[in-house]
Amino acid sequence: MVNKIWWKILSFLLLVYTIVAGFLLPVPRLNILNETIRNLYFHVCMWMGMMVLFAISFYHSVKYLRHQNFRSDIASSSYAALGSFFGILGYATGFLWVNVTWVTDQGQSIGSVLKEPKLIGAAIALLIYGAYFVLRGSFTDIDKRARVSAVYNIFAFAMLFPSIWIIPRLVGSLHPGAPGSDSGNPALDRTDLDSTMRMIFYPAIIGWTLLGVWIATLKIRLELIKNKNIINE
Amino acid sequence: MISSFDEFYYFALMNQQTLALLKKDILLEFRQKHTFYGILLYIAATIFVIYLSLPESPDAQIWNSLFWVIQLFVCVNAVAKSFLQESKGRMLYFYSIANPAQFIFGKLIFNVLLMLLMSLISLCLFFVFLDNPLSNVFQFAGIVILGGMGISLVFTLMSAIAAKAQQNAALIAILGFPVILPQLLLLMKLSKVAFGEVFREGALFQLAGLTLLMDILVIVLAVILFPFLWKD
Amino acid sequence: MNKYLLIVTTLFFSLSASAQDKVEMADLMRSNGKIYTVVAVCLTILIGLFIYVFSIDRKITKLEKEQSVK
Repeated sequence: MVNKIWWKILSFLLLVYTIVAGFLLPVPRLNILNETIRNLYFHVCMWMGMMVLFAISFYHSVKYLRHQNFRSDIASSSYAALGSFFGILGYATGFLWVNVTWVTDQGQSIGSVLKEPKLIGAAIALLIYGAYFVLRGSFTDIDKRARVSAVYNIFAFAMLFPSIWIIPRLVGSLHPGAPGSDSGNPALDRTDLDSTMRMIFYPAIIGWTLLGVWIATLKIRLELIKNKNIINE
Repeated sequence: MISSFDEFYYFALMNQQTLALLKKDILLEFRQKHTFYGILLYIAATIFVIYLSLPESPDAQIWNSLFWVIQLFVCVNAVAKSFLQESKGRMLYFYSIANPAQFIFGKLIFNVLLMLLMSLISLCLFFVFLDNPLSNVFQFAGIVILGGMGISLVFTLMSAIAAKAQQNAALIAILGFPVILPQLLLLMKLSKVAFGEVFREGALFQLAGLTLLMDILVIVLAVILFPFLWKD
Repeated sequence: MNKYLLIVTTLFFSLSASAQDKVEMADLMRSNGKIYTVVAVCLTILIGLFIYVFSIDRKITKLEKEQSVK
């Protein structure tokens, strides 16, 4: 399935659709957000893509511990790298968006924005994967590196989910649709999202995620070529 | 399946070997008193520095944050050596006499005990140097025990991982901080109850329950994952 | 009491409705068709990006084939 071409073309078509429909179709008229609500199709998709890529990385780590196949180690580190890349893009785009909405129009300070639960969750995820790569870098023995980093990946990912679930219950949120916020912006909450927007949002998530997976598979294949002598197939 | 799993680890927990390993760690702690006193000195010095650097005794909020941050660093230092101190030869010896679940249980229990002791000592020192803004000391002590447990469990596993990388305490901090952060926030929130803040009905038990659940999650993960760190 | 509440709510709704109309959107861009330029620019970037990734994909495939021959 991975080497088939159809899902790469699907990713391309979905993203073309995202851009055309995302810019041209009507969106709800809302104060503060105004036209920037269209960022939903790009910025939020980065986070969704990140989570999916981290999940795939987790899956490959589990697979590594079960079968000790070096391919799984390469896969899990590549997906983690792409996930972190998406996360950084999400942070960067989020920063731009925050500047015109929460900071300028709602009068929040940068400090209060950074304490926002979704941002804390994202920061934790990025720190975890940063630590993951530091850990990987500190080994010289390939086999040991694969094993220990897989253990850390599994542990950290398993701790990440309860954290993401817990934090919003501790800190008030600025994000729409989150518990504790009262701004009725039509995003993120499933029951709240405008139906035209939903028609673009979901394909956009799939499109961006597929693009991420594609680039990750390229990275994996490149690593496999580089390490041909180690794998010995 | 589940029940046999439980039984197996219940058995491992109660097992003689776990107790023997625990006893060995405690004995070692008594023999090498300098490390123990080292941590004590670390706590005292840190709190003394805070005492000197603050113009007056801090208000409740800051007191609370300071306390938990100090807990975190004390834990990194106290727990860090639990795997780093074991030489390769000794690990090989343990490998031949115990199974990984027993070994990690021994370590977890020992570190929890050590951390509880350290937590209570640093709590006393906080009272001495930085006043006592608490309205309910016993409640706070309970939360400290709960929190110390959680932090030490996470850092035990982190120490096991860092030991494999032949690294120092810095790596433990890098690995552990993002993972412990939510629990720390949870504890800071929870401990506000001891400052007289009124919680929603049932919210207190919910938070305490969540902390306990996280602890259990960490233990389960440690038991599942440690065997992979163990074999070399 | 009830009547009073009704008046207040109708007032509130009419206010919020008028606020709804005044929300500033890029309507001008849409009416004079410049939005299509934006879409075209983004599409060009996207297509370029995909062509690039595709070419890397092809190159890697070629490398893989070479290696399996050896």
